[in-house]
Amino acid sequence: MKALNYYSLLRESKPYSSKFLELVNYSEGQKKVEAFFKSKKWKPFSFQRKTWQAYAEGKSGLLHAPTGTGKTFAVWAPPLIEWINEQKNGKFPTRPPKLRILWITPLRALVEDTTQSLQELVEGLKIPWTIQSRSGDTTSSVKASQRKRFPSCLVTTPESLSLLLSYPETKESFSDLRGIMVDEWHELLSSKRGTQTELCLARLRKWNPSIKSWGLSATLGNLETARSTLTGSSKKGVLINGDLKKKISVQTIIPKDMEKFPWSGHLGGRLVEQVAQQIEKVKTTLVFTNVRSQTEYWYHALLSVRPKWEEDLGIHHGSLDRKDRTIVENRLRDGSIRAVVCTSSLDLGVDFSPVEQVIQIGGPKGVARLLQRAGRCGHQPGAESKVICVPTQAMELVEYAAARDAMGDRKIEDREPLRAPLDLLAQHLITLALAGGFEEKETFQEIRSAWSYRDLSEEEWGWTLDFIIRGGKTLCAYDQFKRVIAQNGVHRVESKLIGRFHRMSIGTITSDSAITVKFKTGKSLGTIEESFISRIKPKSNFFFAGKLLKLERIRDLTAIVSKAKSGKGAIPVWGGGKSPLSSELSNAVKEKLKQAKNGEFNSSEMKALAPTLEIQKKNSALPDPDQFLIETTKTKDGSNWFLFPFAGRLANEGLAALLSYRISKLAPMSLSVSFNDYGFHLCSNLDFEINPEQWRNLLAPEGLLNELLDCMNLSEMSKRQFREVARVAGLIFQGYPGAQKSARQVQASGGLFFDVFAKYDPENLLLTQSRREVLERQLEIQRIRNKLVEIQEQEILFRHPKRLTPFAFPLWAESLRTQVSTESWSERVSRMAKELEGFA
Amino acid sequence: MRILWQNENLQLLPEKAVFWEKENTLFLADPHFGKAAAFRKVGIPIPEITTEDDLQKLSIIVEKTGTERIIFLGDFIHARQSKTQILRNLLFLWREEFAKLELHLIRGNHDLSSGDPWPELGIECHDEPWSLSNWDCRHHPVATSSKPYFAGHVHPGYALKGKGRTRERSSCFQISKNRIIFPAFGSFTGLKTIKPEECEQIFVTNGKQIIGLPSLENFILEK
Repeated sequence: MKALNYYSLLRESKPYSSKFLELVNYSEGQKKVEAFFKSKKWKPFSFQRKTWQAYAEGKSGLLHAPTGTGKTFAVWAPPLIEWINEQKNGKFPTRPPKLRILWITPLRALVEDTTQSLQELVEGLKIPWTIQSRSGDTTSSVKASQRKRFPSCLVTTPESLSLLLSYPETKESFSDLRGIMVDEWHELLSSKRGTQTELCLARLRKWNPSIKSWGLSATLGNLETARSTLTGSSKKGVLINGDLKKKISVQTIIPKDMEKFPWSGHLGGRLVEQVAQQIEKVKTTLVFTNVRSQTEYWYHALLSVRPKWEEDLGIHHGSLDRKDRTIVENRLRDGSIRAVVCTSSLDLGVDFSPVEQVIQIGGPKGVARLLQRAGRCGHQPGAESKVICVPTQAMELVEYAAARDAMGDRKIEDREPLRAPLDLLAQHLITLALAGGFEEKETFQEIRSAWSYRDLSEEEWGWTLDFIIRGGKTLCAYDQFKRVIAQNGVHRVESKLIGRFHRMSIGTITSDSAITVKFKTGKSLGTIEESFISRIKPKSNFFFAGKLLKLERIRDLTAIVSKAKSGKGAIPVWGGGKSPLSSELSNAVKEKLKQAKNGEFNSSEMKALAPTLEIQKKNSALPDPDQFLIETTKTKDGSNWFLFPFAGRLANEGLAALLSYRISKLAPMSLSVSFNDYGFHLCSNLDFEINPEQWRNLLAPEGLLNELLDCMNLSEMSKRQFREVARVAGLIFQGYPGAQKSARQVQASGGLFFDVFAKYDPENLLLTQSRREVLERQLEIQRIRNKLVEIQEQEILFRHPKRLTPFAFPLWAESLRTQVSTESWSERVSRMAKELEGFA
Repeated sequence: MRILWQNENLQLLPEKAVFWEKENTLFLADPHFGKAAAFRKVGIPIPEITTEDDLQKLSIIVEKTGTERIIFLGDFIHARQSKTQILRNLLFLWREEFAKLELHLIRGNHDLSSGDPWPELGIECHDEPWSLSNWDCRHHPVATSSKPYFAGHVHPGYALKGKGRTRERSSCFQISKNRIIFPAFGSFTGLKTIKPEECEQIFVTNGKQIIGLPSLENFILEK
């Protein structure tokens, strides 16, 4: 029986009387779901009923709402309703139905939780559905038995789904699949894992064109695009708003002694005592940091001021052992832990209802992110979400004040999907070739039905196909290279070895080669990057998983450690993960600085920062939004230039690369470069003057793209990015714990591949792609272009402060630097050797 | 670049080899020939051009120095899977060109798993240490040795720091009174950044030029 079309009757803001609702002619299935809600004393929100209706009409779409508002039941109920309605005479069979729903979640850690929360409704409705999870954590015996008979609903990750699609039998097992639900789509959307999901969706849609795809997302600036990526390039879906406009308050812990507060320095540990006091005020707190190393740092800092919290304080980040993370998550759920120090690893996931407040350490970097984190607390009815911000350096105070303004104005960032990444396409095509093979023309259409590949050109397609068959241009001579074999128009993988290697390396999450950290007893603590652990000498100490550990030895891919008694230790640094200050937040920051310049200090943060901003104003300048500030300072290192475009760390890196390239063309020299969210620092080995007119030319937008490409060849950027591309395209085989020794002989760094291709196969489209990814993702070329155009209209303020200013100091202190040089290798090395002599 | 080491006059070549003029002998370490083939075997597309290039580089130094003997300090062939027809052809062609050369290989860890090179190549293989008159030839460096030695295995690289906070990482020779650690000869190989001891001198090279860095111990005879 089909439900009546009452969709038009339900308007969002209207409250419905229960009497009215009883009059509506619900389907059998919906009646059961409504009854379940009633038994729980819940009332469906209008957005939930809207979603049920749209699904019943066979539509796909995107539902956006903050966490903890019932998004899950909004999309989980309709497939159950659909199934109940299909059963005759209201009688249910005892045998569970074949696989009908795939539920995709971005984090492995969420798979179990999701499975449990989906179970609740199935049990409530007393239907024979089975729900199981499948991820990298699932044992191989469970996986094998699942492939024989799938549950009615499978909860999995994009990688695991992609892996499933590589088996020929999967098509038959998925023959009754009705819908695919993607949770936390905002998190996947603009990553390669999102693109991977799109490709999987395209395949599932090809098998069954009437399949429904639904996404759940936090609020974004570009919801329409987020919807299209899910429904594919040819279909139109619905967009349902479940935003209940919750109250959010942003407060900041103001350092008592602002005079001594560091302008830079990543720690700001002096606020530890105040943070501890804040934690004492409520029962449960989440302490968010921006990077994993800060998590380790703050966990220790808090324990050092409250040693008795040892059992009461948790640590949670993506590199920790899964078991330990689960323990922390469970304790959060039942409220038996006082506080957990975490990274974005807890941005997502099912509700931790006991959490009463959220503490944000360091700058929020984006409005959406702060909203998301705020949403992790205050789930009690009528409660407001409360975020307490803790600055780690002075300028972050401005960010908090700015974020509060931007939240009020609902200025939320976009998340853009990637454009046709060929590394992932190569990976996906091999997956299809493994799964019984693919035919060229048909598959080209299928791939283009994925939103991110809608404009894939014939040339790109042809190249990728050639790359997986013959390995590209340079490999034609090698007949033993047969990754994919084309026969009678069908492309297949025939070598078992290649199939095995491919399945082992499916997945697009990239990390440095990871070393497992273990106690002698065998208990695993988590993973750490090889580049960090290789710098630690055996018998010296480091912090990990909230513990002070002593490194005993490293064997194969395992670091054996023991508990260190006391003393100092290094804090690991994990690569990547620092997101840039968003345009929305950056604009709000500039607005705040303008107010400061005019003497308006209308929030506690700005009042506290007033003396620092006064120093900046006195020794240099506080730029208006229509001014651009350049500071020149001489130090013993040489000439220093500090420029402040406020374009976020990525675009600032690109601008820095461009400017250093242009400057080094004025005279042969080597420059080192550092950058942060506000500006960048160029340091030259020469004593060199640049006049205002030269600066105008250096900042011209003309020739941007070509010069940026040129200077990227000089710098390391595209090489770094190529590591990821190479990994996804299957060039780098990542070892895994327990891998055979032979696997190590086919490991080489992405840098080496880059050099080989750049030398022998410069037309390789993977090189092009990594350059494009650097331009679009790493340097945000559009933002650079806009900024350069904007500067043309701006007044440039040239300042020559005698000492480093509050703006400049953090840049000067930044140790992570890249470099650009127009000296030859021997000039550079001879010069450095000579300087070495000078010091010796 | 000439150095005086163990009272012998040795020539450090920027191509990452050492020439001992008196005995007309060339030393080099870690060519890792055929490394790319091992990758292709599992479906990773890498051309064998690196091996071709490296052999060509070797031909050039053989002609330039007029050497009669080459001693490879280990890791001649990268892996078992590297022993393809292509590599065989490349090595045999090269061998034909220099049929008179006397070739020695000190077995390294990679040679142990890939097995000795094709016997027809006429390379005499030795387990380490293999003794010459004045010093030993090894693949693995050892902490203590009664005799001075040459070794490879490490693929040493050195990072220089300079004014303007610049940094340069290059392949290098690591030389002390009683040992010389060679840079990897193969171009498809990585670098391990080393921290030299005070008694060591570092010679950095980019394949075309070689520069000796200042240090307490100086081995340089002439540049």
